[in-house]
Amino acid sequence: MGLYIVRRLWHSVIVVFGVIVITFLIARVMGDPVALLLPPDASKEQRIAMTHELGLDKPLYVQLAVYVGQVVRGDFGKSFRYNQPVLRLVLEKFPATLYLTIVATIISIMISLPLGVISAVRRGTITDRIGMGLAVLGQSIPNFWAGIMLILLFAVKFRLFPPSGYAGWNAVILPAFTLALFFAAATARLTRSNVLDELDADYVRYARLKGVPERTVLLRHVIRNAFISILNMVALQFGLLLGGAVITEFIFSWPGIGRLSIDAIYGRDFPVVQATVIITASCFILINLFVDVVYMATDPRVKRG
Amino acid sequence: MKKGFLVVLVGMALLFACSLGYASKDEVVVCQGAEVNSLDPARHNSVTDENYAVQVFDSLYFFDANGIPQPRLALSHKVINDTTWEFKLRKGVKFHDGTVLTAKDVKFSIDRMIDPQVKALFGTFYSTIKEVTVVDDYTVRIITKSPDPILLNRLSLSGWILPADLVQKQGAETFFQKPIGTGPFKFVSWSRNDRMILEANQNYWGGAPKFKRLVIRPVPEIAARVAELQTGNADVISSVPPFLLGKLKEMPNVTVQPVLSGRTIFVYINTYGQDALKNKKVRQALNYAIDRKSIIDSILSGAGVPNAVAITKYHFGFDPTLKPYTYDPAKAKKLLAEAGYPNGFKVEFLSPSGRYVMDKEIAEAVAKMLNAIGVQTEFKVMEWGTLVQIYSGKKLKDLGFIGWGNTLSDADGTYGPYFGSAESPFSYYTTPALADKLNKARTTMDKKKRLAMYKQIQAEIFDEAPLIFLYQQVDNYVTSKELKGFQARGDEFLLFYKVSK
Repeated sequence: MGLYIVRRLWHSVIVVFGVIVITFLIARVMGDPVALLLPPDASKEQRIAMTHELGLDKPLYVQLAVYVGQVVRGDFGKSFRYNQPVLRLVLEKFPATLYLTIVATIISIMISLPLGVISAVRRGTITDRIGMGLAVLGQSIPNFWAGIMLILLFAVKFRLFPPSGYAGWNAVILPAFTLALFFAAATARLTRSNVLDELDADYVRYARLKGVPERTVLLRHVIRNAFISILNMVALQFGLLLGGAVITEFIFSWPGIGRLSIDAIYGRDFPVVQATVIITASCFILINLFVDVVYMATDPRVKRG
Repeated sequence: MKKGFLVVLVGMALLFACSLGYASKDEVVVCQGAEVNSLDPARHNSVTDENYAVQVFDSLYFFDANGIPQPRLALSHKVINDTTWEFKLRKGVKFHDGTVLTAKDVKFSIDRMIDPQVKALFGTFYSTIKEVTVVDDYTVRIITKSPDPILLNRLSLSGWILPADLVQKQGAETFFQKPIGTGPFKFVSWSRNDRMILEANQNYWGGAPKFKRLVIRPVPEIAARVAELQTGNADVISSVPPFLLGKLKEMPNVTVQPVLSGRTIFVYINTYGQDALKNKKVRQALNYAIDRKSIIDSILSGAGVPNAVAITKYHFGFDPTLKPYTYDPAKAKKLLAEAGYPNGFKVEFLSPSGRYVMDKEIAEAVAKMLNAIGVQTEFKVMEWGTLVQIYSGKKLKDLGFIGWGNTLSDADGTYGPYFGSAESPFSYYTTPALADKLNKARTTMDKKKRLAMYKQIQAEIFDEAPLIFLYQQVDNYVTSKELKGFQARGDEFLLFYKVSK
């Protein structure tokens, strides 16, 4: 098991390195930051000077080598627009996104698990139809629309939550709900299908024959077994949400790394774009690794090594 | 069961109570559409950034609501000769830490704008300054490289005066973590993308602000921005699109303040490209083809004014007697035929989306109107960053939709970059004669002579039609009814030292 983890970590390093190179190249294809950085009235001399200051006049492979050298030492460079060290900037804003993602994941689980289990247990009935109908709705509603609707309804009309921003402990609820919507729906459907699979299994039939009460069958056996693939999906979700809450953070003015990266992309602020992508990708890879290890540790059906 | 119910009830009550974060009488909350880039004015390149600086700092001069530089930290100025200006400074002005402002602070701050090591983004506007000398504690001289009639305008643009000793002692990076100025508000804290908190400077030389705290928040989503105003969390919101105005005007606790903007919207014509666009008659035809009024009424809900020559009343040199091109498609077709294009010709028309109010929709309407006179447009929408690169890299093929704000409040602020020289990154039209005239107007000190020169230049530009002139924006600022004394400005600055609740 230890060897497995070490090998996986080594693979992760290679993947992260690939992410660094690809992000670096894609960022540079995005275009010229100088045109956006300087006011439109800037002179040609100013543009040339700024291009030089940002190191953008060097050949691409030189820029890449310099960047990789910096990153392995933990230096992600300075933001073109803010003139601040990027790593510090990203680490400052990361907790806000982490907080939002955790609350969103909790809400997602609280909705999707009961919804999926009940739909599975009452398969074919009206409860099932309504449940899955809601799930399809949840997956189809664009989250920017949902977010704005939530603001108009619960913030403006009912004054229960602030419309946007980070202040007050209840400010996270509306954005977390918006973020959770799609994934809660997807997880609900997956939960239902996993539980259905388990309900069909031999050991369930045997437990019922033995006279075990249905509730115990459900809670002690079925859910525990379905849990593992659900855990997998929740972890993947969490990793995706971590890097992708861009739209939600924009709508709710949530000061996380989603906001940071969207401003950076529009402003062609390469160091910030690169750092956010690399850090998010690394988190995602680590979460994946964690899930796989948990899988191996808890599910005897999974081969080791 | 009962206990659970009680818990839920209490929980909801708490939730409700916590959301009552409405701005109290002592606090004014402003929601802008974008975030400040940096606390260091040397990294500022837009009015969003400057709306923080104007609260914490002062400059020697600053534009009034009509775009005319008024003395602020300076009391008066004297033009000693064509390239030498002398300024008398206001006495008894204190920085937020109690130190007194003197000439050396002025010299340090202006030097910083010109310093090639600092690379101030607005530094290009200060490139006419050769040197700053301290005459005595309250007298400063500025020497320009050549006659510079708009030095006061330049000093009004991001000319924030910093405390020389403190900045030099702490170093810029440390100083700007907790900046100190002479402005009406003191800096308290800033969390990027969240909020900036400022508090009133009770010792402000212009009179202490009438409330205690100013909070500036970036709320990029317009629906959320309006929601903040509706719930009473915000007192002022900016960048309100015209289609929301009807709904906002109906709200009881809200005031809508429209103001003529210094920003004009027009279409670039690349006169260095295809032959058709090199012909003056063709360019005039393009201008006659546009029904500006119907665009303003139907797409902008009336929030605009047809514009003649890309500058406005806020720009010194503006000639109000020049009337915009009329809507005359018959004349447009006739001009095209006279120029040798009776069947029109093809153009590529680029437009941003979301950069300016209703930009894509208006550009589409313009394209349709051009099609109607026989000019077949290939319409392409592009992301702003890409478009800026095309425009400023001289890669525009035929037509491009763009707006231009008002930084210097002077005709040269627009005509300089656009027509002043063939090398200017943003220029797609010029002639040696016009460049010469602009140069002369830029370096003539006599106001009356300048006015006459710009009147003639405008007439020429109008006739040559190097742009498809469209309209001047009308900006709408929406405030809560409790706010008193807030004056919307055409230069997008938000000032609060005369505001109360």
